[in-house]
Amino acid sequence: MLRIEDLWVSYGHVQALLGVSLEVERGSIVSIIGSNGAGKSTLLNTISGLVKQERGRIFLTDGIGPDTAKLLPREPYRVVKLGVVQVPEGRQVFPGLTVRENLMAGAYTVNHAGRVRRNLDRMFEMYPILKERARQQAGTLSGGEQQMLAICRGLMAEPKVLLLDEPSLGLAPIIVKGVFDTVRRIRDEGITVVLVEQNANQALAIADYAYVLENGRVALEGEGRALLCDPAVKDAYLGGAQEA
Amino acid sequence: MLVQNILNGISLGSVYALIAVGFALIFNVLKFSNFSQGGVMTVTAYAGYVASRYLSDRLDSLVLFAAVLAAAAVSGAVIAAAVERLAFRRLRRTKSEPVYYFISSITMGILLENLITIYASSNFYSYPRFFATSAVPLFGVNVAVTDMMMFALSIAALLALLFILHRTKIGLGIRAACFDVNTVQLMGMNPDFLVTTALMISGALGGVSGVFLGMNYTLYPQLGQMVVKGFVASVLGGLGSIHGAVIGAVLLGILEIFFISWVGAGWAPVFVFIVMLAFLLVRPRGIAGIIVQEKA
Repeated sequence: MLRIEDLWVSYGHVQALLGVSLEVERGSIVSIIGSNGAGKSTLLNTISGLVKQERGRIFLTDGIGPDTAKLLPREPYRVVKLGVVQVPEGRQVFPGLTVRENLMAGAYTVNHAGRVRRNLDRMFEMYPILKERARQQAGTLSGGEQQMLAICRGLMAEPKVLLLDEPSLGLAPIIVKGVFDTVRRIRDEGITVVLVEQNANQALAIADYAYVLENGRVALEGEGRALLCDPAVKDAYLGGAQEA
Repeated sequence: MLVQNILNGISLGSVYALIAVGFALIFNVLKFSNFSQGGVMTVTAYAGYVASRYLSDRLDSLVLFAAVLAAAAVSGAVIAAAVERLAFRRLRRTKSEPVYYFISSITMGILLENLITIYASSNFYSYPRFFATSAVPLFGVNVAVTDMMMFALSIAALLALLFILHRTKIGLGIRAACFDVNTVQLMGMNPDFLVTTALMISGALGGVSGVFLGMNYTLYPQLGQMVVKGFVASVLGGLGSIHGAVIGAVLLGILEIFFISWVGAGWAPVFVFIVMLAFLLVRPRGIAGIIVQEKA
């Protein structure tokens, strides 16, 4: 669904990504784990076009066959129009707009009133709490509710690929579980998910495939389950010898 | 006398409200006070004047008046868009501090004002009289037709603004951009488009107010400096709040008329600024401060 070739990104003199290549298969969950500053968010922001790469290419391969690969545009709003939608770190809901208005903002690219209404109903069905609070300002929601709202706002754009940046950050464990259940459900609906996480345990557990970023390079890759058992990953990201 | 003053104040205030909500709108999106609006108002007042000269033989009073306002509003929108392209877009690309926007906008205001001085000289002009009757009796006092028109059309323009902001997709985009002009890109919105649209709306409102001010006073290049009234009104109302700006503007209009009748036109601005300073000391958030505080 996404193919990234030799991506180089820097912020001034600080090199954030040094030749990252990866492949995201249609209908899968691909997790990207790594420590702080490894370049995970930079990778997502470069896919979204918020950050421009120095070198390297990002393709959207939603058709069959090699000829249908499309180069992703570099303006963020055009990336969204092609169906690659990011749910940013820290949720970034619009605090003074109502829950409903936040969702409608997510549907900005969908020019079909009937479909927007159907999607809105689906979100409300999935998270009745959002329906209950539809007229409340989003800033009054709890952290977990705001995360759900942020994800739903992303889904309102009818994405082919959903990029999730640290969706479990700062949430209570019980709510984190709900977030990961949601991610799995989104994948089961046929939407490809790229998940960036500090919570390596859970991110690997639900991943079909995963990459470990270290200092802006891909250090390791493999199936989620396989990486979960990898001694090097265990040592560095899963809290030593502790069981997952 | 009291009723007369209040009515005059409200109609003057409604014109200030047009300037003030433009301020509030841009303050919300770009986080600075857009003083280039003054230059835009000067240009639009002259554009309206030129339109009135060309069309006065051909059109009737009310139609002529509408055509003049339309010409001013359209030219205001176009100039505001040009200002965005020239003075603000680069600053947004480089994510500059608000103070740069502020300086850039003042510069554009002065530039536009002086372009008008060069092309139209610093002479005073006056608009033709649009209406046959100049005043009608209301509540036992005489109300100028111009004042009533100003009031009615300002209210109509403000309602149109609220409709755009709350009932259209672009309006939703602009309101979302008020909270985070970068995050809206992830919703597929083009921030250049949203910012330009917001400036065009504020330019159109400024255009209408430019004609009203030109009719009320006379037409001269420094007319745009009336933009300060809009600024004072939006400080009174609470910077960034649309509703507050309207309340502040009407309050300012009434205060001004009363000060003029008490201490004369020379001293009135002094007292107006004293009120503004008092507001900044006692209630810096303005009348609608609660809303603004929540957004911070």
